Amino acid sequence: MTKTPHASFWSSLLLALFLQLVQLPDAIAAARPLWLPLMLVFWALADPRLPTLLAAFMLGIVLDVLLNTLMGQHAAGFLLLVYFVSRLRGVFVLFPLWQSTLALIPAWTGYCLLMAVIDNLALHRADPWLRWLPALSTTLFWPLVFTVMDSRRRRRSE
Amino acid sequence: MNTLSASHHQPLFPRGPGLGLKTLVLLAACAGLMAAELDGERIKSPREWLALALTPVVWLTELPTRVGGLAEHFDSRERLLRENATLRNQQLQLEAQLRTYAALETENRRIRSLLDASARLTDRVAVADIIAANQDPYRQQITLNKGERDGVYRGQAIVDATGVLGQIVQVHPTTSVGLLVTDPDHGIPVEINRTGLQAIALGRGGGGLRLPFLPANAEIQIGDLIVSSSLGGRFPAGYPVARVESVQHTPGGHFKEAFAVPAAKVGQGRQALLVWSERAPIDPAQAGEASAAEQQQAPAPPPASPAPTAPGP
Repeated sequence: MTKTPHASFWSSLLLALFLQLVQLPDAIAAARPLWLPLMLVFWALADPRLPTLLAAFMLGIVLDVLLNTLMGQHAAGFLLLVYFVSRLRGVFVLFPLWQSTLALIPAWTGYCLLMAVIDNLALHRADPWLRWLPALSTTLFWPLVFTVMDSRRRRRSE
Repeated sequence: MNTLSASHHQPLFPRGPGLGLKTLVLLAACAGLMAAELDGERIKSPREWLALALTPVVWLTELPTRVGGLAEHFDSRERLLRENATLRNQQLQLEAQLRTYAALETENRRIRSLLDASARLTDRVAVADIIAANQDPYRQQITLNKGERDGVYRGQAIVDATGVLGQIVQVHPTTSVGLLVTDPDHGIPVEINRTGLQAIALGRGGGGLRLPFLPANAEIQIGDLIVSSSLGGRFPAGYPVARVESVQHTPGGHFKEAFAVPAAKVGQGRQALLVWSERAPIDPAQAGEASAAEQQQAPAPPPASPAPTAPGP
């Protein structure tokens, strides 16, 4: 049994938070991949012993404060995402990378939908087409993030 | 290649509450927070603490932009000299203009005093640095480095050199968050400078403004300057807000809609001006009494001629 990689877990999540918040040119800012969900889903799949759920909640609240959105909006999205992925972990174990990339598309889309619904509840309207760009970019980034993170983790555990 | 290595299985005998229960509890906490905020007011103090605690994170995320800005420090001497010269010229021109404005202002004040109208011509202002821009592409907000300690209040108007930028929506001890006029949540009472037509300008989210529900026969045309009106008592009157870009009228519709580009340099400057212009909130009961008193006085209006104190020319 390998040690639970707590240090790399938290540092990778902080890196994801940084990437989520760093300034991008306006033209591509709307297509910014969902870095925090990406990283959370990776860890939820990689090691069930890590406190991914708690991290999802805390980082969600942090993001809500920093982006000045409704308190709990991002936290709820992260929690649901991590919950469903953890429940379906047994299925994801069997998938090769390309299949897991496809299987995660509904998860990203669902997350975007939830954010749109909550924004609508808070009477904050936004361009409905731009809403779906992050789902696309996140799908494209998943194989990259997974490969990098997984190779690091394997090297660590060997 | 399988997604997972075989060494990480679920523990056979899990301890503590199950995954579902944990998710449920945390989700309930989120739902409670959201419901509390949807009701109206934002939860203020925990937000403030967290925002204060997260200042290093914000500073870190702003770092790449700052490093990019460092290049300006190593600017060439000639460019600086040239810039200096043009700025000097500009200042001369502006000063000359200011002379005429000063004359106009005194004239205006004299005429206003004749009209018995008391209008403050200068507002109290303070310069604030824009220290962060909201990275959520659906929200157009900026963070300023002035907060409660500098006397900033919620609803305060923010302007820049060329027009109205927005208003303060959240005040922290040392920083404050401003909502830009182009945010879809923002509305500002305006008037068309040319005709005096009153309207409301809403943000469009993408960097423009729209004036919905104008009367179909409204006198508005492309290029009209839109200035802030003092209706609502929140913004100082007469600052440029936007310029009309296009006017749309669906045949048969009751209303016209105009689209405008903001006059302020939204998303460009690093500084903004905070304007103290809000009048003291009127107590509704007092206001009622006042209006009643006015009505009583109305039947016998003493012909209060604007006392000719100023020597007529």
